[in-house]
Amino acid sequence: MARFHSLEVTDIRRDTRDAVVVTLRPEETEADEFAFVQGQYLTFRRDFDGEELRRSYSICTGLDEGCLKVGIKRVEGGAFSTWANEELKVGDRLEAMTPMGRFFTSLEPDRAKGYLGFAGGSGITPVLSIIKTVLAREPQSTFTLIYANRQTSSIMFREELEDLKNRFLGRFSLIHILETESQDIDLFTGRIDAEKMETLFRLWIDAEEIDTAFICGPEPMMLTIADSLRKHGLNDDQIRFELFASSQRGRAKAKAKSSSITAGAGTCEVSVTLDGTTRSFQMEKDGTSVLEAAVSNAMDAPFSCKAGVCSTCRAKVIEGEVEMEVNHALEDYEVRAGYVLSCQCIPVSDKVVISYDE
Amino acid sequence: MTNEASFVEDEAMSLSNYLERGGKLTSPGNVPPRYRAELLRLMSSFVDSELAGSAGFADAINWAPGLTERIAASRITMEKVDHAERVLDLMSDFGTDKTLYNKAHAWSARQARDAQVDPKRQGGDMRLSVFHYPLENWADAVVMNTLMGLATVHQLQELSKTSYQPFGEVLREILPREKRHMELGLEGLQNLVEDETGRAEVQASVRYWMPKVAETFGPAQSDRFERLQKLGLRHTDNEALRIAWRTETEARLAELKLA
Repeated sequence: MARFHSLEVTDIRRDTRDAVVVTLRPEETEADEFAFVQGQYLTFRRDFDGEELRRSYSICTGLDEGCLKVGIKRVEGGAFSTWANEELKVGDRLEAMTPMGRFFTSLEPDRAKGYLGFAGGSGITPVLSIIKTVLAREPQSTFTLIYANRQTSSIMFREELEDLKNRFLGRFSLIHILETESQDIDLFTGRIDAEKMETLFRLWIDAEEIDTAFICGPEPMMLTIADSLRKHGLNDDQIRFELFASSQRGRAKAKAKSSSITAGAGTCEVSVTLDGTTRSFQMEKDGTSVLEAAVSNAMDAPFSCKAGVCSTCRAKVIEGEVEMEVNHALEDYEVRAGYVLSCQCIPVSDKVVISYDE
Repeated sequence: MTNEASFVEDEAMSLSNYLERGGKLTSPGNVPPRYRAELLRLMSSFVDSELAGSAGFADAINWAPGLTERIAASRITMEKVDHAERVLDLMSDFGTDKTLYNKAHAWSARQARDAQVDPKRQGGDMRLSVFHYPLENWADAVVMNTLMGLATVHQLQELSKTSYQPFGEVLREILPREKRHMELGLEGLQNLVEDETGRAEVQASVRYWMPKVAETFGPAQSDRFERLQKLGLRHTDNEALRIAWRTETEARLAELKLA
């Protein structure tokens, strides 16, 4: 199961008005565990007013820089990013899981590959790690980055990218697309839409020379770009997405309160929500799991191993008390947030409300 | 990447809209609960089928008539476990305990040859119903491996377009090897049908396995398919896949004069 490690903040550099770059150092004995692959991310956890928040931020350093840095852009109402931008200081410690993610392709130093990167806003962080790594480790490869931002002042890593352009002249090209600032060439102003993609393909990008395209940014932008790349002959293996985890809320939702707890045998009134539909039924408190009861009431509840191992049957207890017999799959924070493995979940109270939709 | 919100507020887009338009999800962190459940269900059905398939096929190693066939059977047995492990690694990102998962079910357990297994899942594991039937001998194992191998290729081609990018990537790596398992089956059949006894044995096995493999595509009308389609986890419906498989299989069998 995933484990958190303590990292020391050794440097904080303000990159733009609302973004910081944080340098982190693992314990000496744990350095190997924090060896990463370009494009991976770290998941941090921190307690905010008694609620644990977990947030992932991409590593922005290349493999040969010998350090671990993440870029954190402050998001309106985002508890973690605001805290990191306003309160975090050198010497503090952050808890993080070891690097994860699959936003990379394997390095092939002998090959001359053509890469195309698209980044929107803070989506630059993993792409930057990839750019620096492939330029250093694949001496014959080239990289073209198309980088979308609101305006010049919000461009993260602007200077570093300029330096890379000078250092890898002829191998790294950079196109800034600014939404609200006009530039010499019209093409570089506005948003990346289908039409702009067509023009880029006509004037700047040769689809046949692309081995892999990396895209990280807001969803609509990624879809537009992927559509256009497919239209120009790239297949799914060549298009790598990295998504903002937008399904997560800025603040964790309040923990479900247990109520009407009466332990003991008898029957339990169970209400189960699945796919937006709620069904209620009675079940015996005889050791039958909530999952079994839901399934025998003709609900198509998700499950697989029925042994508390795989976590397919994860559900949230909204009301009431249950006992989980075996849990090999959920982490403590999930359990604290009210999640259970419904295959292992025996009702204790006379009324239990659970949902597979939350 | 920052996961507190999209960088431009007014560009916010609903996840269902994103998925319907062909968007991909990339990590457990950006997968909502219902999606997570359906995805894990798909992944564990694949893992359980590979583990059960491999466990059942292990017997074929000792039935093999020659060294080449022995090697082929060993390779199929080994690689199917490897494929299971690759997907189990993805499930581990969601919390699945890989070590315990292997011990969760008796993968080599089979029902009687003449049992009527409901194509809906049986009990605890999620293996496709075809993997509940036992293999009888070398010819039977080769036939089952070929027919199911052809089905697997169609099923994996479909699943490799899934909206969960890491799953799609792993399946695209697995696909050529599963294809090779199917081709090894066709080569085995070629040898078996050379004499009349072998041909009769093969024909009987084909009659036994065809309807059972056909069932692995699921019901023609399926609410689950529609649900999975909305999430971008599936694209081509069960019946269309089954027809494509049947057409190809009949052509292959005709080449061997088995139709």
